[in-house]
Amino acid sequence: MTLEIGTVTLGIDKIAEQLSGAFAGELDDVRVQEPDTVVARLERTKLKDVARRLKELPELAYETLNWIAGVDLGSQLESVYHVYSWHTNTYLELHVAVPRAKAELDTVTDVWPAADWHERESWDMVGIRYLGHPDLRRILLKDDFVGHPLRKDYVDLAENHPHA
Amino acid sequence: MGLSDMVPDRLKVGYPKLEDFHDPNVITTTADFIFSWARSNSVFPFTYGLACCAIEMLSSGFARFDVARYGMEVFRPTPRQSDLMIVAGTVNEKMAPVLKRLYDQMAEPKWVVSMGACATSGGPFYDGYNVVNGVDKVVPVDVYIPGCPPRPEALFQGLLELQTKIKQHSFAPKLPGAQDG
Amino acid sequence: MPDHFVTSEPDEAVKLALERIRETTAAGRGSDMEGLEFNEVVVNMGPQHPSTHGVLRLVVTLDGELVKDVIPVIGYLHRCKEKLAEKRTYYQYIPIVDRTEYLASMNCEWGYVMTVEKLMGIRPTRRAEFIRVIVGELMRIASHQVAVGTFVADLSPLGTAMVFYMFRDRELILDLLEEVSGARMMFNYLRFGGVRYDLPAGWVEKCRQLMKRMPKLIDEYESLVDDNAIFLQRTQGKGIITQQDIVDYGITGPNARASGVPLDLRRTRPYSVYPELDFEVCTATHGDVFDRYRVRMDEMRESVKIVEQCLDMLPRGPVQLGSLRAPYVITPPPGSCYVGQENPRGEYGTYIVSDGSRYPYRLKFRDPCFCNLQLFPKLLSGNKIADAVAISGSIDLVLGGIDR
Repeated sequence: MTLEIGTVTLGIDKIAEQLSGAFAGELDDVRVQEPDTVVARLERTKLKDVARRLKELPELAYETLNWIAGVDLGSQLESVYHVYSWHTNTYLELHVAVPRAKAELDTVTDVWPAADWHERESWDMVGIRYLGHPDLRRILLKDDFVGHPLRKDYVDLAENHPHA
Repeated sequence: MGLSDMVPDRLKVGYPKLEDFHDPNVITTTADFIFSWARSNSVFPFTYGLACCAIEMLSSGFARFDVARYGMEVFRPTPRQSDLMIVAGTVNEKMAPVLKRLYDQMAEPKWVVSMGACATSGGPFYDGYNVVNGVDKVVPVDVYIPGCPPRPEALFQGLLELQTKIKQHSFAPKLPGAQDG
Repeated sequence: MPDHFVTSEPDEAVKLALERIRETTAAGRGSDMEGLEFNEVVVNMGPQHPSTHGVLRLVVTLDGELVKDVIPVIGYLHRCKEKLAEKRTYYQYIPIVDRTEYLASMNCEWGYVMTVEKLMGIRPTRRAEFIRVIVGELMRIASHQVAVGTFVADLSPLGTAMVFYMFRDRELILDLLEEVSGARMMFNYLRFGGVRYDLPAGWVEKCRQLMKRMPKLIDEYESLVDDNAIFLQRTQGKGIITQQDIVDYGITGPNARASGVPLDLRRTRPYSVYPELDFEVCTATHGDVFDRYRVRMDEMRESVKIVEQCLDMLPRGPVQLGSLRAPYVITPPPGSCYVGQENPRGEYGTYIVSDGSRYPYRLKFRDPCFCNLQLFPKLLSGNKIADAVAISGSIDLVLGGIDR
């Protein structure tokens, strides 16, 4: 297999149109962020299905996951997926909203294996639980750390500072 | 000269001068002096570079800023063979038990140099939820070297101060009630 | 926290390793030797280790000398950078970004500054763009010198000759960068809309002279190891990263290019003045340890070419937008943005969510070493432990970036 970059030359607006068409009703608010990123919103129940289909698209195959960020937007949490398409050499940024009360989301490790550690970091820092993840445990903080630091309501606890 | 000025006179042992002796093959000195002199001039540092300061520590070991001039080029990767732990970098809550464990594995006499702002007091990350504000909360420190990162010359000044401190080491057991220098 | 290294209670990573051994034993694939239940032993290549290039802990499951499984444990240098971003203004955060990938500070600052400039909708001045490319490429050479030097030093004690030469010449580059920015390592040089200081008088000439010498110095490094039979035997054919791995795990940088994939963000997602410059994207074919070493050496030569071109093309003009000093407090409009740039280790970028205030709302680093490290279990399994050391050195990890 020889990996080639940018074999399909489609303008970014055309790509946004194709995505809106292929995923009508699932991808909301599809807009273009110059020069090469399409940003869209996705509902959490549709994440797994859309992820698989995005990877299997014929021209725009979004085969590589660049990063996943967990964001605490105050009223809700958000999981941002940044994926890359080798054929068109463009990116897609998916925003999936997650309610604070039940911060759960399906894992995408079976679609993009790179999601493994990114989801662990998101769980560690923001507290979004990824259902079906093979090994969801803390990655950057020590195992008995209490709380999820990148949440806006995180309070520095004395138990997390035995060496203060 | 910094620390050396604060050493009380009774602990200062001067270098013996050759013209003081009648027999050219005999030098008389104290055990304290000779062992401390030997120890201070052949310190084996422990490679405990954690973060960015480790790179400056590495640079000081190489050709331009040669730490071999001070006898300290033998960086040992294991604590059991070293007597100086240069903590170069930020210590966080996950690393602190490891640091303590490695310090405990070093044999006496041992010294700790806290290199850089992070090891001294938390540095630019002092208000992080995971950062220990200074390695002296975990192990006793002998010399603090400020800087972010300290230049190799600054590291050398700290190591020279440490050499002066090592030279003060006394073998006499401290009697209870004795005045501390 | 109980000291896991003293108590008999294993921590999460070791528990996982033991669990996996139990599973293979239960599945009937335990030991075939008399009296042994299983062949494997769990060894801790602890956070303090001469060959892990930083505070990386590898919980290695060994069968004799063969590595069966590796569980990397990170977080020993987690300095809460992403949370600190919410308490520092954009300007105050530049020195902290420096300390992410401390071997390539200029490039890290560039990745952050580009994102903020995109959020604000400003572009730096033309002279500043060229200066950024010059210092970025100089930093790339210096970073590769450390990377390849420490990698070769790991392979054998006698290999330290190369690292001495490389560090000697790295000092020459750091001298140049110190004249420009004032610091040897953590430069705090790039600003939103330009750079902090203009090039001092005579700097261009000094840089040109060093760049004239550089190819001969690179030849000197290569002459030390290229013909060495032991080096070739230890590096060729080991630790092959396939193109499927690159797609699956998002591997970027020299690790990807060594497998034949021309993924270089300076060409695929051009930024700054790279479209006007003439340089090759260095690739290799096999994707083994030797090829990764080869790609880094070739990249050093290409960086020299780039710096020479920029020195010739350097325009006159201001190095900062607007007034004499960059503004201390900026408030980008609300929105979010991600920009990646080509760090010596891969794609490094920051994703910033701004809420219109003077502090970032959320800042996330996309770190190349974090993504590359995910490949370790797959890459190291099936190799001898000595090869595992060689392979992990060739991936070029900087724990400051992985742990942030």
